[in-house]
Amino acid sequence: MKRKIRIAVPNKGRLKQPTMDILRRSGVEILERERVYDCETSDSRFRVFFMRAFDIPIYVQYGAADVGFTGHDIVVERDADVLELLDLGFGQCNLVVAVPKNSQIRTIEDIANVSRVATEYPNASRKFFASKGKQVEILTVRGATELAPALGLAEIMVDVSTTGETLAKNNLRQVAAILKSSCRFICNKIAYRTFEREVRELIDRLKGGEGTSL
Amino acid sequence: MKRQRYIEEKLRKSFILWGYEEVRSPTIEYLETLATDLGSELTQSMFKFQDFDGRILALRPEMTTPVARIIATRMFSTPEPIRLFYISNVFRYSRSYMERGREFWQAGVELIGSDRDQTDGEVISLLASSLRELGLSEPRLDLGHAGLFKEVQKSAHLDPENGQIFRTLIGRRDKAELEKFMSSNNFPSALEKSVLELSETRNLREAAWALNRRSGLKKAKRFAKTLEAIADILSDYHLEGEVYFDFSLIGRIEYYTGIIFEASVPGFGFSIGGGGRYDDLIWKLIGIRIPAVGFAIEIEKCLQALQSQGSEFSSIPDGFVRVLVSSISNERAVETANLLRDSGAVATIDVSYRNGKKLMEYAKLARMNYLVIVESVRKRPLIIYDVQSGMRKRLTARSFLREIFRSRIR
Repeated sequence: MKRKIRIAVPNKGRLKQPTMDILRRSGVEILERERVYDCETSDSRFRVFFMRAFDIPIYVQYGAADVGFTGHDIVVERDADVLELLDLGFGQCNLVVAVPKNSQIRTIEDIANVSRVATEYPNASRKFFASKGKQVEILTVRGATELAPALGLAEIMVDVSTTGETLAKNNLRQVAAILKSSCRFICNKIAYRTFEREVRELIDRLKGGEGTSL
Repeated sequence: MKRQRYIEEKLRKSFILWGYEEVRSPTIEYLETLATDLGSELTQSMFKFQDFDGRILALRPEMTTPVARIIATRMFSTPEPIRLFYISNVFRYSRSYMERGREFWQAGVELIGSDRDQTDGEVISLLASSLRELGLSEPRLDLGHAGLFKEVQKSAHLDPENGQIFRTLIGRRDKAELEKFMSSNNFPSALEKSVLELSETRNLREAAWALNRRSGLKKAKRFAKTLEAIADILSDYHLEGEVYFDFSLIGRIEYYTGIIFEASVPGFGFSIGGGGRYDDLIWKLIGIRIPAVGFAIEIEKCLQALQSQGSEFSSIPDGFVRVLVSSISNERAVETANLLRDSGAVATIDVSYRNGKKLMEYAKLARMNYLVIVESVRKRPLIIYDVQSGMRKRLTARSFLREIFRSRIR
């Protein structure tokens, strides 16, 4: 009962294009778009599904998608029990704790227990502050997290930062890095067993190594 | 509920036929007992509360420790090996923010009092054949060895931190990274080769050959013997094609000391059960060394897996003939219903006082086989409708019974 292997690919954002590029170089070119989210590929064993990078760990953990491309930060935030089979190297960023430039806070130790933290990463943030012994209040926001400290919603924010440019532009200063992230090739644990040969072949090609013949 | 029962009954039957006896354990036990050698992840997931005297109690998060405790405290004089099974609910609190259930049903067996390789083979074969019994298509087991993995870590002299990295690399199956790691940690070359071979192969006999050929590992022959014995027994049961070797399978529960395995089916993203050998757990509970091996099947997961494989549950026959009895006279309805029940048919008395078409519609929706109208005048034959075909007949109660039971006997 071998069916097509479902690959989950980010439908927008900074991981989308590099993911499509590396797939093309690996011999899995995305062909016509039948519907917005569902595409055949040049390799008939694979089918590509476009979805939000943030949802990819869930789809893969539950086996709705067999493999996928998403950020390590998102896998951690989603607390997803998946195999991170390959670090693709692109999409590098840090998940950082930042405060307004004029804040008294210099290190994590300076953070008061009653502080409020605005973030799109509540789960990773909660774990990080708990590990530092800080009982902060976590406010989940959807995007434009930099705004929260500016308007006084929270004293602290947690978000991804690639170059630190956005932080600087918004008068923010990094206090700590929670984790280093990059794009990962992830796989459902059972799908790895079912499709081991195909998945390993795809990994070899993603690495740019052997296995280029079909 | 019917679907769950179907799975439970299939498993119960299969366990009984292999000579296992059912046990029950208390839902609530002392935390310290339940937490013996369990590992931090499961221990954290337990629901805990206080007894009247302040001692900490918990809801059981799994069944192996409770069963081991029963053996330790109550079955002292039973001759070994002891074969037990259970079908029980277990409770886990999920710390993850993902919404998950808190109560799960597990069906499992424990074979206690023998460390022979044959018992490993028996338990694995029982698991594989039980999954087949359930009607799951292409069930597979993946088998690793907790002792073998620990031995590799020991022979390579890895500190805990590097041990963890090694574990992650094996799990990722990244050959290049693994080779790099092993050479920078000065793995002896024989060991390095064994590790690569073991992590490549999915075949039990190949893994055994790899261990026999060049060890680089203490007790390698012993591990090989276990794997070979398991492969032999599986092939006696014609189940060899359903069990694969997986060196990276180490498991999160700490009490495992020997083989460790996980069951899955293609197309369903989660494992549906698993188990392993735990030779030290009972010793830790009562100070007497009693080896044991067992597994647990997750009933809800099996149900979901069957559904995802397109199993049709509504047609599961439960062996009962179902009859809806309707009469203006309650006395006559009761009389007929009791006659049916005494003969082993399911009889339900209609209380809606619907008639004609509506009554037939209800009987169909309620999945009745027959609708029986009893007239209030005694001695008149029953009016019998076959709910499926709509056919109407007049029969005496006696000939009706004869008819339904004849048609049911295959």
